[in-house]
Order: sequence, then C-alpha cells, then structure tokens
Amino acid sequence: MKFVIEHLSKSFEKKEVLKDINFTFEEGKIYGLLGRNGAGKTTLFNCLNRDIKADGGSFYMDTDGVRREVSADDIGYVLSTPTVPEFLTGREFLKFFMDINEKSIKEPKSIDAYFDYMSIEPEDRDKLLKDYSHGMKNKMQMLINIIAQPKILLLDEPLTSLDVVVAEEMKQLLRSLKQDRITIFSTHIMDLALDLCDEIVLLHHGELEVVEKTDLDSKEFKDKIIAALREGENE
Amino acid sequence: MNKTLKISFSLKNTYRVNGILFSLKQIPLLKRLLPAALYKVRGLKIFANILSVLWEIVSTFIGKFLYFVTMVCGAGILYSGLPENAVFLHILLILTVIGSFTNTHLFNPTKDKYYAMILMKMDAREYTLVNYIYSLLKVVIGFLPFTILFGMDRGVPLWFCLLLPVCIAGMKLTYAAVTLWDYEKRGFGYNENKLSKYMWGCIALLLAAAYVPPAFGFVLPSAVPMGTFLACIPLGMASITRLTTFRDYYAINKELLAGLTNQMDSTAAAQLVKQVNEKKISTDTSITSDRKGFEYLNELFIKRHKKILWNSTKKISYVCAFLVAAVLAGIYFLPEEKSAINEIVMTWLPYFVFIMYAINRGTNFTQALFMNCDHSLLTYSFYKQPNFILRLFQIRLREIMKINAVPALVIGGGLALILFATGGTYNPLNYVVLIVSILCMSLFFSIHYLTIYYLLQPYNAGTELKSGTYQIVLSVTYVVCFAFMQLRMPIMIFGIMTIAFCVLYSIVASILVYRLAPKTFRIRT
Repeated sequence: MKFVIEHLSKSFEKKEVLKDINFTFEEGKIYGLLGRNGAGKTTLFNCLNRDIKADGGSFYMDTDGVRREVSADDIGYVLSTPTVPEFLTGREFLKFFMDINEKSIKEPKSIDAYFDYMSIEPEDRDKLLKDYSHGMKNKMQMLINIIAQPKILLLDEPLTSLDVVVAEEMKQLLRSLKQDRITIFSTHIMDLALDLCDEIVLLHHGELEVVEKTDLDSKEFKDKIIAALREGENE
Repeated sequence: MNKTLKISFSLKNTYRVNGILFSLKQIPLLKRLLPAALYKVRGLKIFANILSVLWEIVSTFIGKFLYFVTMVCGAGILYSGLPENAVFLHILLILTVIGSFTNTHLFNPTKDKYYAMILMKMDAREYTLVNYIYSLLKVVIGFLPFTILFGMDRGVPLWFCLLLPVCIAGMKLTYAAVTLWDYEKRGFGYNENKLSKYMWGCIALLLAAAYVPPAFGFVLPSAVPMGTFLACIPLGMASITRLTTFRDYYAINKELLAGLTNQMDSTAAAQLVKQVNEKKISTDTSITSDRKGFEYLNELFIKRHKKILWNSTKKISYVCAFLVAAVLAGIYFLPEEKSAINEIVMTWLPYFVFIMYAINRGTNFTQALFMNCDHSLLTYSFYKQPNFILRLFQIRLREIMKINAVPALVIGGGLALILFATGGTYNPLNYVVLIVSILCMSLFFSIHYLTIYYLLQPYNAGTELKSGTYQIVLSVTYVVCFAFMQLRMPIMIFGIMTIAFCVLYSIVASILVYRLAPKTFRIRT
C-alpha cells in the first residue's frame, strides 16, 4: 500500500504555502516531517484531512497498482493540542466512538482493555474529560485515533508538550503501530525526528523532499538537514 | 511633556485607525476586495485618520450636549412651577457629584493606557498626568458652550455659566486626589468600571436626590449649588499638588489594567468563553444513559447541560405563566379594561415575534454545543462523515425544539385564555391560529439558529468567533424581530402568514442543511 500525493497546492491570498507537493509514502514507515515555522506543515495535514480545500492536485491510496480515493476513516489525525469532548467521561467517549463505528472496528476489545493498553488508570476512566490532565487527554485522543486502525496516521507535533514518561510511552506506541500503516509525524525537535522516524522529509518552499541519510553519521545528517532548511533563506 | 502628549496622540490614533481598517476587513464582501497589506495603504490610512480626528473633536462636545438636553434640561422641563435656574443647578450639581466618581478618566481602564504604560513602558507618572490634564481641558472646553447656552436659557447669570466648567473639573480633581490619598492609606485601587454595590447604592440615592424632590416641589435654593460649585475651584487647585506629588502611578495603573489583558487578547478572551462554558457542565456523577451512539451522546449532553437548557426554559415558562395569571387577575378586578385588552391580544401578535426571539435558547444551545462538544469532536474524522453530521443535526433539532416549545405553549395558551376571558372572538379559529403561530415562531427560531450554526459554523479551533456573515445574520435577525414590535395586525392574517413562513423556512433550511452541512460544518481555519 502506498499513499500518493500529486501536485497538491494551496495559497492563502497571494502567499503560496503549498506550491507543488509530490510524494509517495510507503507502508510500514514513520515519516518525520520537518519544516520551519510557517512552512505549511499544518496546512498540508489539514488539506490531507480535508479540513481545508486544496487549490489543486490530488492524493490517493495505491494498493498493488489499484488506485482508490482516501476516505475519512482512512485517516487518523492527532493534533498537537489534544481536544476531547469535555462533557463526557473517558469511558463514555470510548463507548460512543465504538457504538457508531461498530462496523469498521476490526476485532474490538473491551473498553477496559483499551484503557489498559494506553495505561490510563482505572480511577481516571470515569472522570469527566474536562478534568483530565494534558497528557491523559493526549492519550485519549491517540486511543480514539488508533482504535479504528486507520491506514494513515497524521501526527501534528504530538509529543512536544508531554512529560518525559508519557512521551516515552507514546514513542513506544507509535513504533508498535507502524506496521501496516503510514505514519507521518511533524515536529520541530530534530532529535525526536531522528530517534523515531525512518525517513526525514522536509517541507520547504512549498515542496516536499526527502533527505537521504546514506552513510552519514548523526551529526553530519543534522547539519545536512539544517543546511537544506536554510537554503534560499536570503532570497 | 509635549512629547508625551504627542506620542499618546499618535498611539491612540494608530490603534483607532487600525481598528477602523480591521473592522472594514470583517465585512464579508469587503474582506475579499481588501488586500492583506491593507494597513500600509496610504489613502486608507489618511481617510481613517480623518475619521479618527473628527471623532476626537465630536466626542468632546456631543456627549455633553446630549447630557444637557436629556439629563439636565430635558428632565428639568417636567418640574413646572419651580424656579428654572434652581432646578437646573440642583440637578446639575448632583449629577456632577455622580460624574466625579463614575467618569474620572484617571481610573478608567482604557486600551491606550495599557498600550502606553504596560506594553511600551512609557513613564507612568508623566503619561498619566499629561493625559489627565488633557482630559480635564476637554471637560472644560466641552462643557463651556453648553453651560452658556443652556444655563443662560434657564436664567443662570453669565459669569457663573463661564465658571461652571472649571467648577466641574475642580470637583473631578478633588475626587481624584481623595482617591489617590485613599490608595496611599489603604492600598485600595479604584476602578470606575467596577463599582462596588455601595457605590451603586450611592448612585441610586443621588439620582433620587436629583430627580425626586423637585417632583414634590422641593429644590435646593440656587445659592447652595452655586456655593458648592464655587468651592470646587479652590479645592481642585489644592488637589493638583496631591496629584503631582503622588508617586505610585505605575502601580495603580498596573492594578487598574490587569483585567484588560484578557479582554484585548482575542485568544485569551476566547479561552475565557470556553472556560465559562466548561463550567456549565454538570459534575453530577449519577448522570448516565442507556441509549446508543448519537442518541447516547445527545442524551448525556442534554442531561449535563440541564442548567442552561431545561432549567432556564422552565424558569421562563413559570414567569410567563405568572404574567398570564396576573393579567387574568387584572381582568377580574378591572372588568372595564376588558375590551382594551381584547383589542391588544387581537392585534399585537407581531409583537410576540420579538418576545419569542428574546426567550429563545437557540444561541445558548449552539454555543454550548460548539464549546463543549463539537469543538473537540470535529477534529476527529469519524465525526465528520456526512451521514453522521445529518443524523446528529436531526437529534439536536428535535431537542432544541422541545426545549423552546415549553414556554411557547405557555404563552400561546395563556394568550388564548386571555382572549377568551376578555370577551372572546367572533371566529373560534383565532384561538387555534394564536396557539399554533406562537409555537411556529418558537420552532422557527430553533431551526434558524441551528441551521445557521451548521451552515456557517462560525468558530475556529481557538473557539474565536470568526464569521462576519454569522454575526450579520444574527444582527439582521434582531433588527427584523425588533421591527415586528412596531407592527399591528389581526391574529388571523399575521398568524397564517407566520405559519406559512415557518413551514417554508423549515423546508428550505432542511434542504440547505442536507446539501451543504457536510461541507460547511467544519472547524474554521
């Protein structure tokens, strides 16, 4: 399975944020999306998740040469600030989600099994989500996004504001989830990207390009990334 | 000093001008025409600058003119038989006392102060004093033409009319000095926009003292206000020393302006609205639901927001029922008013459009829906599937219709009862039309608010209201409903028209929602 983007473009007024995005993402890999502030990472994610309409171009799933449209349940999108329905408890949110997605959830587990899986403590499961801590909200959002086992997982700086323990748990989780799906992970933290991701992709001047690691050591690789991001700075 | 004044001016001007340009950019059609680099277009800047300077001049005079026309002289006309000059001075003196602590300039938390002293770190003492002097000059210059014009008209001698503005400024100065002294003694910062209940009590008493005694033929002999006013000149002069020697201007301003940060930062303000809405969620742990899927979600939402939805609709219904009972009792005790009331009920149906508008819970419902539910769920792609959006729309419409229908039935039924009690109507169909049309109005507002919420979804991820169109639709709704208050029409004609309109509107709204909502019901970016 591949996820192919062709000639995707998006402008805000006169500013071309995404110029001509062409890329093929492959199953089983975590892609680290790096880009400077305002480079358009979130815009790209929003276009892929169809939150905003792209000006041109297309994207589709390709399984052994057979193309098909990307449907809403193909994509799981985890935002940097976790948002959860404050008036529900953790358990209620999960029940609601499982109720309405009955048909699409393969091999459903019990609600408590899911909570155990995410290390959400039993005493927190029946609390209103508005009283959850930031890290717990994040776990909840992640959980909802992975239960339906989406083919594509978009993560917009998901680990930035988590404490070290939760961040480590999340990293482990993402590694365990990478089989059978495409994970695209945007971040500002280079070490995290190098640690977790299989490929580093730069969003620069409205285009996507891969940075080849080949036989560079970690320091050289970092320098190469920085140099690439700086390129054309003084145009 | 000159420089401080100049900087204050250009600062105030810049943000006024940018404010004008910003609001121009909020208008849906203009938004597309105006470029993002709007703020550097010279022509527009000059135009907005002219507006801003004109406003500075006009605002010096217009408020004072209206003040004299209505509060001082307008009200004074009511007391015939009393010496005009005494009434004029009596009212003016007491209102000036109120103004001295509710309109101080010094203790008014304004944006320009925040920008200058907190953000730009201008010298607080100098900035405050320079602007305070300027504001007092505006008081004197602004009052002068009207104290002469209205004062002489009321037989106040010219020399006193000329001195009056200075006396008014003197009284303001005196109060300011006392407040600063109080701050030094007790450390208590005064804010004219956050008056204590004692202050409000004082205002009520003073207003009563200004307007009630003249109604009973009593006014202060003109020597008393004149003496008091004149005494304010030396008092004010003495107060100047207090103001110039006071050292803690930065501290009092910091305290005064603390609340302003939240208001000015639109993200922080939106956060505040969000928090307020979160507080409306009931923490009652016994609330559960046996339903499934969207009905489950909806039931939990309604139960946990009972306070703002059902409780308030119940309260409104009780009040309406009480009012109906009061009118019925009135008819019983004053049978001679029957025909007049009958006439009112028969022709005032359009008036109830505004009443139904005012008691509708639609906007509260949609706001809570967004803040506590859709704001988060709309970030999940499963929630945005077209069939799910429409399913939930139906459920929500049903709920809000139920909530709004209760007071509508009370009002409709109550009106029919009043109509019957005041002699009835030649055509019994009038009763039916009355009840049905009031119910239709309530249904209309329920559909209207939910439809525009689904079609325009006005909030962004930061819970800020971002849609100019949404605000315009709300304002137009208000204006139209307000205009209906002026209309008088027999029940039969207006009722049938209302029912027909509601049916038509519901059909159009449903079609629009089914066609468009799956695309429009998104978080704004």
